[in-house]
Amino acid sequence: MAQQHGIIVLFDVENALRTRSLDGNTYWFDNMKFLGSTGEGTGDLVTIVPGTYFLDGSQATEQVLNWLPAALGAIPPTVPRNYLAERERAHDQRTLQQLAALGGEGEASGAELTRLKQRVGRRPRKQAGGRGLTATKLLDVTGSTTTSAAAYNYPAPVITDITGQAVSEKIIYPAQYGSPDMVYDGWYWAATVDTSRPGVYPYTMHVQLHELVEQNNELVWQSVDLTCESSLKITSDPKRNAFTGAGLGVLPLPAFPPAG
Amino acid sequence: MKQKVSIVVMVDAVGALSDRTLHNGNISLIDDSVAGSRHQGTPDLITAVVPGQVVQWTPIHVDVQTPVEIQAIEFLPGAAVPPPADSDDPAVPPAPPAPAYPVEPPPAVPAPDATGSNGHENHDLLVWEGVVPYSMVPGVPYRYRLSLKLHEGPNSVLHIDSPALLRV
Repeated sequence: MAQQHGIIVLFDVENALRTRSLDGNTYWFDNMKFLGSTGEGTGDLVTIVPGTYFLDGSQATEQVLNWLPAALGAIPPTVPRNYLAERERAHDQRTLQQLAALGGEGEASGAELTRLKQRVGRRPRKQAGGRGLTATKLLDVTGSTTTSAAAYNYPAPVITDITGQAVSEKIIYPAQYGSPDMVYDGWYWAATVDTSRPGVYPYTMHVQLHELVEQNNELVWQSVDLTCESSLKITSDPKRNAFTGAGLGVLPLPAFPPAG
Repeated sequence: MKQKVSIVVMVDAVGALSDRTLHNGNISLIDDSVAGSRHQGTPDLITAVVPGQVVQWTPIHVDVQTPVEIQAIEFLPGAAVPPPADSDDPAVPPAPPAPAYPVEPPPAVPAPDATGSNGHENHDLLVWEGVVPYSMVPGVPYRYRLSLKLHEGPNSVLHIDSPALLRV
């Protein structure tokens, strides 16, 4: 059976934004180590793609690659996609209740009002003319609002393209697909592989990260486009009969029939 | 007569590895024989075959990202064996339930070499198919041990002894 290769790319977003480079800030991992992938958990992953063909030369299995980005210190990708919006609304409701309680009797102290103001958090804007990010509040990884620049949660990294030798030589055909999966925002990058040409083929992944900057007294998410490299090692071997080790033969039934 | 009978082995790899068994609904065997197979969709599939037909086994993994391959298919021998030891002796643990016919330990079948060109074992290289011999006795189920390899590691191989081929 063809295998589905899962390739996780983990980004150290904060470090990558600081150094403006993904070098040393990506950690690649796939599920094919047992068939010869090397560099698991490093920036130098070589993903094995074991191709097989029938003895008449026709392609026997198709291999499928799936790339999934993840971010260090981010909200786990396993929570539903509306997590941020839900947490934001819950926070607003609780703050409104507390505000109403304050106005009920006596005078609200300045300290309490300041505390509530802190609670409301800050809402960064989209970049002018930019697309993609909805203007949610700054939340930390626990889903609480925050005004601290040190504790907020970066938006998930977005793969925007896959190029390079493996693509230009038509070894892989990457594309972005939609799925009803609530994880990964329902979008993911996948590719089928032409396993008829063994060799090592590098490819480049284009990634968009988002940086929070202060602009005209407003917080703005600015996109930062970076690239990183990985490669595929494609092998190709003929299929053979498992009973004979070569071609088709009779089944190895026992010499004496089972007693009926 | 159909030229080829396909047996599909559907495996819930995550379920099988969690339970450490291919029972409990973790495996389902289905064939496309038109000669009257029995127990379709269960681990006890008895596939009706005719001599000269090619039988082919194909694994399908329900969770597509857990590799499942056939590790071995060994037909269980049918030679007579002595009856089980006297179970009245309290020192002797009770004998396991008798199989449908006497079973000896499987013969030493050389494991198929599944090594690929990169030096790693890849059972995807093996095609599990063979011709039904004319020496097969009609009306008797020939049971076989189906061993499956789920990913890798010391606990990756699980087997069942219940499926069979039956010449009609």
